[in-house]
Amino acid sequence: MRWKSKPPCSQKSQEPTSLSLCLRLFHRYRDLAPQLVPLDYTDKPAVTLPYELIGSMPELKDNPFRQRIAEVFSEHGDGNMTLDDFLDMFSVLSEMAPRDLKAYYAFKIYDFNNDDYICKSDLEKTVNKLTRNELTPEEISLVCEKVIYEADVDNDGKLSLADFQHMIVRAPDFLSTFHIRI
Amino acid sequence: AEDLVGSLANSCLSSSSLQSFRRFGNTLTEHFHQLQPWHKTLKIIGAEFGTSVLSYFIFLKWLLNFNIFSFLINFGFITIPQFLAAEPNNLSFTGLELLTGAGYFQQTVLYYGSYTNATISKVENSASYNMQLAYIFTVGTYFVICFLILLFSMARLFSRNFVNPQARSVNASKLLCTWDFNITNEKAVKLQQKNLLTQIKEGLTELNKEVQNFSVMERVVRFATHLIAWVASLAAAVAACAGVYFLSINNLKVRPEFAFFHTVVVLPSLPPGMDQLLVQLLFLLLFRNIILKISIVGILCYYWLNIVATSESQCWETLVGQDIYRLVLVDFIFCLLGSFFGEFLRRIIGTTVCVSLGLPEFDIGRNVLDLIYAQTLTWIGILFSPLLPGIQMIAFLIVFFVKKVSLMRNCQPPCKVWRTAQMMTSFIFLLFCPSFLGVLSVIGVTVWRLKPSEECGPFRGLPSMYAAVAEWIQMLESYTAWKWVVWIYHNLISSELFFFIISTFVLVVTYLYWQIIQARRTMTKLLHNQIINAGKDKKFLLQKLQKVQRSKRSSSALGGRGQQVSLTAQLLLFNCLVQVHGVLQLCKQPAGLGKGCASNFI
Repeated sequence: MRWKSKPPCSQKSQEPTSLSLCLRLFHRYRDLAPQLVPLDYTDKPAVTLPYELIGSMPELKDNPFRQRIAEVFSEHGDGNMTLDDFLDMFSVLSEMAPRDLKAYYAFKIYDFNNDDYICKSDLEKTVNKLTRNELTPEEISLVCEKVIYEADVDNDGKLSLADFQHMIVRAPDFLSTFHIRI
Repeated sequence: AEDLVGSLANSCLSSSSLQSFRRFGNTLTEHFHQLQPWHKTLKIIGAEFGTSVLSYFIFLKWLLNFNIFSFLINFGFITIPQFLAAEPNNLSFTGLELLTGAGYFQQTVLYYGSYTNATISKVENSASYNMQLAYIFTVGTYFVICFLILLFSMARLFSRNFVNPQARSVNASKLLCTWDFNITNEKAVKLQQKNLLTQIKEGLTELNKEVQNFSVMERVVRFATHLIAWVASLAAAVAACAGVYFLSINNLKVRPEFAFFHTVVVLPSLPPGMDQLLVQLLFLLLFRNIILKISIVGILCYYWLNIVATSESQCWETLVGQDIYRLVLVDFIFCLLGSFFGEFLRRIIGTTVCVSLGLPEFDIGRNVLDLIYAQTLTWIGILFSPLLPGIQMIAFLIVFFVKKVSLMRNCQPPCKVWRTAQMMTSFIFLLFCPSFLGVLSVIGVTVWRLKPSEECGPFRGLPSMYAAVAEWIQMLESYTAWKWVVWIYHNLISSELFFFIISTFVLVVTYLYWQIIQARRTMTKLLHNQIINAGKDKKFLLQKLQKVQRSKRSSSALGGRGQQVSLTAQLLLFNCLVQVHGVLQLCKQPAGLGKGCASNFI
């Protein structure tokens, strides 16, 4: 009963992409490494930019989750992104993406060990990233237990995607905070 | 470049004719979006101060659109024809008119009084332009469009952001859903992390100690301070209203705008761990601010409609227009002064004289209420001064620039918790409910009940402004081609039975929807319990299975009895897991219960 690793196709095609946003994103992608990225994409060249370049973008360089974001959207989970991955990333993080899609990807970002559940260790890593490692291990453990107690609906000790989406519905600010302007 | 466009188009969108239509529409809106010069500014503000402060600037931009639209249609349909039929202006221009709005401006197109009531036709025997109908229909259409826009925005925001406050899972959502990805400035990110750390630590200390039981003395003191604050603010509001009323009666030109300083309330320093109390206090302050502003606007409207309109003055609509012009101007000046004192001076004080205070924060609530107040005044003034939205447009542009500069130079990012989505929903609700509906009632009373002045304006000589429409319908009755318009007017617009039937129908539909919501809420609770129970069953069966397997291993020498039991246990477990999976799938299906049960937690 594992959840699929990519969202079903119908969900993805619902996101309204716009041509000029694509063009803008393409130029940003190309600006990261003009010598690697060709201007002509008709024969679909297999160009992948390394994570270091993606992580140095001004929109991402100070974000504590930039590595997880790059890993989630990259094809092989290593942070190196093709143009398609790059476009996917910024269109999910744009203001036009629907809430379910954003919740799905946010869940994957917080799922550090990629087991389709946010377990206690994932939460501990999240808390550390959010507070710059300034809490003691007991405090972190306490916080994680409280979070799981509040959000775990089916009582299996970890958060599944359904639990996460259930929580997102009750946090209306999520749509505007899970958003990167480009 | 065409290859690039083509290849990108292929990789971004699928190729079908419907998609190409959407592509065209999207390109248009994106280019329009790009033309807006504030995309970069908003990005910078969001990057350094977060989504909550950004919401103020987005709200300001949204209100600006109303004024631009109003100015364009008023200028196009009312002012330009007036230029063709203008009378020469005999008055001289001195600079003082910019402040008082009287004098030279009195006979310009700025005010109602200078508009002609004639039917303008430049060329003989050609189509003529009825100024009366143009005036009333332009203003009426604008308000109808505003009403629809506000209603749909509010409905959309309510459906997205309305959350049952008891159902919030505070800590989980604070940790996982509130990190602001918009913030890309290194300092701001560090500050956000520090704030989150403080909140988590406060949450933990609350968890550790018992619920604070205030002693009787402390409770009395708290109650007394609240009571005194309420009485003081209500007294100030009543005093301000009385002052406004009596000064207006005595025809003095000075308005007690100092009443607005009441809103500058120094927040007493609160003991730590009082996050909830702070939010409540914030709401209280905003609420008192709202009451004060509503009462002042109410008193002014009462004065204008009951006293100025029935007085024997020459052109009462122009007088009211001048009053509103002055109010708008003073409100604009006070907004700039508020920014100067509240942010610039406070930063100077906070960094040099009294360093413990630190940098000020941008007061989102007060600023948004100022915007709503300014927009209310503009809406009231549209009927009496058609070009007032243009003036407000310029004022908003200047305010945007000044606030942005002041924010960047003087303020620090907010550390208080500010529930952006819910606050913006309540602000737009405020814009709709007391503000816009109040304006509609004022305009309604003016158009239907008040007698326009005899000597000026497009409705001179008529018993009421609405009489122009009634006369037009009467004139149309003689044309057979327009009989349907007359029929619609008599049977749908001016017939009470039709409105009674529509109201009953709307009430019935509302009641049905309410019952459906109640039923869904019950269903949600049942499903929630079912998931919990299924989880418990699963855990129980897993434990049983493990026990049986252990006993089976230890008694494997004895025979196959254990195998039978384990098979039954496995079948039970499989059944239970299928059930759990089914329930979870049901909750995930969007078509099942209408947008999934999870999204109906109202």
